[in-house]
Amino acid sequence: MKLKNRHPYMFISPAVLLLSLFSLIPILIAFFISFTDMNLKGLADWSSVSFVGLENYQSLFADDKFIKSIFNTIFYVIIGVPLVIICSLSIALLLNYGTSKLFTMFRAVYYMPSITNIIAVAVIWGYLYNTEYGLFNYLLSLLTVENVPWLQEPTIAKISLIILAVWKGIGINMIIFLAALQGIPKSYYEAAEMDGANRLQVLFNVTLPLLRYATFFVTVTTLIGWMQFFEEPFVMTDGGPLDGTISIALFIYKEGFQFSEFGYAAAASFVLFAMIILVTMIQFKFRKSDTEY
Amino acid sequence: MALATKKNKWEQALVIFIMVAGGILVSIPFIWMISSSFKPESEVLSIPPTIIPDNPTLDNYINLFTNMNFAVYLRNTLVIVLFSFLGLLFNAMAGYGFAKYNFRGRDKVFYIVLATMMIPGQVTMIPVYLLLNAMGLTNTMTGIILPGLAVAFSIFLFRQFMTTIPDDLIEAARLDGAGEFYIFFRLVMPIAKPIFAVQGILTFIAGWNSFLWPLIIANDESLYTLSVGLSLLQGQYANNFALQMAGAAFMVVPIIIIFSFFQKYIVEGFTMSGIK
Amino acid sequence: MKGKLWLLIAVVLTSLTLTGCSDSSSSGGDEHTVTVWAMGEEGKKLKEFSKDFEEKNEGLTVDVQAIPWDTAHDKLLTAVASGNGPDVVQLGTTWVPEFAEAGALLDLSEHMEDYPNFAKENYFDGSVTTMEHEDQVVGIPWYADTRVIYYRKDVLKEAGYEEAPKTWDELKDAAKKLADRGEGSYGLDIDRNDQITPFIFAWQNGYEANLEEGDLNFDSPEFKEAIQYYTSYFEEGISQKQEGKDIVEAFKDGSKPMFFSGPWMINIINDQAPDLEGKWATAVMPTKETNTSSMGGANLSIFESSDNVEGALEFISYMTDVETQLSWLEESNTLPPRTEAWEDPVMQENPMYATFGEQLENTKPGLQTEQFERIAQELLAHIERITVGGADVEKELEEFNQEAQSLIEE
Repeated sequence: MKLKNRHPYMFISPAVLLLSLFSLIPILIAFFISFTDMNLKGLADWSSVSFVGLENYQSLFADDKFIKSIFNTIFYVIIGVPLVIICSLSIALLLNYGTSKLFTMFRAVYYMPSITNIIAVAVIWGYLYNTEYGLFNYLLSLLTVENVPWLQEPTIAKISLIILAVWKGIGINMIIFLAALQGIPKSYYEAAEMDGANRLQVLFNVTLPLLRYATFFVTVTTLIGWMQFFEEPFVMTDGGPLDGTISIALFIYKEGFQFSEFGYAAAASFVLFAMIILVTMIQFKFRKSDTEY
Repeated sequence: MALATKKNKWEQALVIFIMVAGGILVSIPFIWMISSSFKPESEVLSIPPTIIPDNPTLDNYINLFTNMNFAVYLRNTLVIVLFSFLGLLFNAMAGYGFAKYNFRGRDKVFYIVLATMMIPGQVTMIPVYLLLNAMGLTNTMTGIILPGLAVAFSIFLFRQFMTTIPDDLIEAARLDGAGEFYIFFRLVMPIAKPIFAVQGILTFIAGWNSFLWPLIIANDESLYTLSVGLSLLQGQYANNFALQMAGAAFMVVPIIIIFSFFQKYIVEGFTMSGIK
Repeated sequence: MKGKLWLLIAVVLTSLTLTGCSDSSSSGGDEHTVTVWAMGEEGKKLKEFSKDFEEKNEGLTVDVQAIPWDTAHDKLLTAVASGNGPDVVQLGTTWVPEFAEAGALLDLSEHMEDYPNFAKENYFDGSVTTMEHEDQVVGIPWYADTRVIYYRKDVLKEAGYEEAPKTWDELKDAAKKLADRGEGSYGLDIDRNDQITPFIFAWQNGYEANLEEGDLNFDSPEFKEAIQYYTSYFEEGISQKQEGKDIVEAFKDGSKPMFFSGPWMINIINDQAPDLEGKWATAVMPTKETNTSSMGGANLSIFESSDNVEGALEFISYMTDVETQLSWLEESNTLPPRTEAWEDPVMQENPMYATFGEQLENTKPGLQTEQFERIAQELLAHIERITVGGADVEKELEEFNQEAQSLIEE
């Protein structure tokens, strides 16, 4: 396996070159911008941009809204990520149970949320969560539970958005798990069965361990995705009520594209970047000690 | 799990029941989206929402097609989709390179690739635009396509799955005198079919829905895609929801077709002989 | 195999470049083309509409690019960054200070005399304010919009109002009576996400910002009183705090019989609630000190980087001609900002338009500073703390004043 030739480079170079050009260099430019007071005026006329050192970073941590957005993002990640992974894995197992047409058809059904138009999502979930007329509160009222302010109370609103995001996020992870499940040779099951293992034993001793590459992938990408939690608060609450649902990514978007404070927004994104790198590195560390890949 | 022998009737019925019930639950918004596209504007926001339109109409679709420069938008969208499949090949190659070769700086380069996933896209939008502008690629199809070709997510996914391919298999092929690219195309790609299928679906959807770049790069409507064309139908204040739902429903049909096409390969799975 | 692969890549890359080349028609154009960026529906309509201009101006072609509203700001940003803009751009009135401050818009002062259509006297006062930035003229009003009261005639009659409320006290009284009709009924719907409504109340109460001296006056008693008036609607349960029904739905069933909105609402109500015809009307804003409303709409500006200034000027002059404005109204249902256009019988006879015509006489645009967007957002956040969070009005406004003041001094 230790080939010292040019082949590996030939394999990776097209993608890596493109990525360097269109991601890496722009990231470096953005990093530089984060130390300046770049705004719309600066964009039009570069000479009016001045270097402000760490000022953007300093004011970020004095900005209540930013602190709040960090807190909210952590809240989303801690609750949302495990939920998505458990739900999509369970659904993948469920769909992998049978091979009849029915099961194949329902793959598409479970995939639907991730291809539903975001405006349709906003309208229909807005209705479901509507305090007075919403379906959820109607159902609860049948159980004589009082109206829940789904999107009007900061903590409940965060949970409501998590439910929505889980619903939307299942599809893609589910098909990744499904693909991985298909990659498990049937002989493994046969062997386990011959050893007299029951269903649960097969699940925990054969299936799940063999899914570790997929699970690792799903965990890393889901974490990265959720740390950049954006679309749900953007369409449902715009960060309200009382900044209760604003995420770091939404904060960056607002600073950068609503108020054109590019320097400030870039600084915020590097704080987010640092957080994500840290979390991802921890994951890789854990993985290394777990199994060598 | 996939064994028929141990399944008893009750268990099967229960699984099917859970699956169907959950499926209906998750797809309600989707069904609503489709049904709204057949509603007149006055009915879309009625409370409680109707699943079956009271006054079904085709007006939204007629409006959609008469108002869009359909042929041009479709052509551009297809060009983008086509090239994003070339990107898919690049990503697969890179994933294979990272998974199955040992070379100097491999881990470092791989972590850098991963790092590109971690910066919110909006931050790099303006720098990328300025770069393309400096290269003279604004207002060209190339400028629209290039930045989206390599995707870190996709490279990571390929790498993750290709590590599960047994080394012995590749070694054996090498001993038989197969070239590296021959191994990749003839041996690795067929084995990795399920993951190609997943990526095929994702790539198609991303290309099909591409919106922001075509808009930012194009200074000319002849480069607009279907999504951009659709969003032009939206007023500043008036939300013609029914029309938008018709657009969304129309955009989703090819995705479903592609999905059912590719997912065949996910089902097929590991039937390769020679791997055990 | 290896050779094949490289061949494939080569073919693909070549075709990529070819598609690139064949599709790249020059942007910005030459001296015979006027490139125009217009938003959404209007952009689409403008394309057909400008054929008439091309006929009248031989040798000039107009190239309109329609840009979706949602992403128009992003698109403009990249254009500013690269200097690759169009000749003429449609700018929402609230965006004018931002892009003017960035130096992206051409100063039209020296052309004012050559183009009589541009003269400030032609336009409503509210629009004139948006034409200027510092001592430059950076845009010519293209269409105007303003907010008025929409109300259900039949429902108000039951509450004892034959006409729409005319003063703040009447508005409050009527709204209160309407809200008292029972559970689920409200008096006046105030969109808590709307940036301009608090300012409308403030202007009506005699508030004015003194931007020349950098004093926003948010600590003035006029402003404070207006915000108290605004928040009282929520505190007294006259306006709904939560997101309830869609406003047209609620207007239809009578649960929210009064709200403020702009001219676009006429069509929406006609489309979505055709049964209501004859049961609703519009009226000018209620009076406290004045009955000021907001001035919105869009201007046409020339990009600093334009390479066809002459053609661009001609095009703007054409678009702001009284005759063109009237036919554009027919085409797109947007209101002409030229006072002269309102003397046309069409405008006089239509009662819906008449209300807007009357209201336009008394309007102000959002504060003409590039920080307006942020200031307005801050204000909404503080108001939310009062209405939803139950915070103290005085304290919140004091905080808001300091924040806003520091924003503008930056």
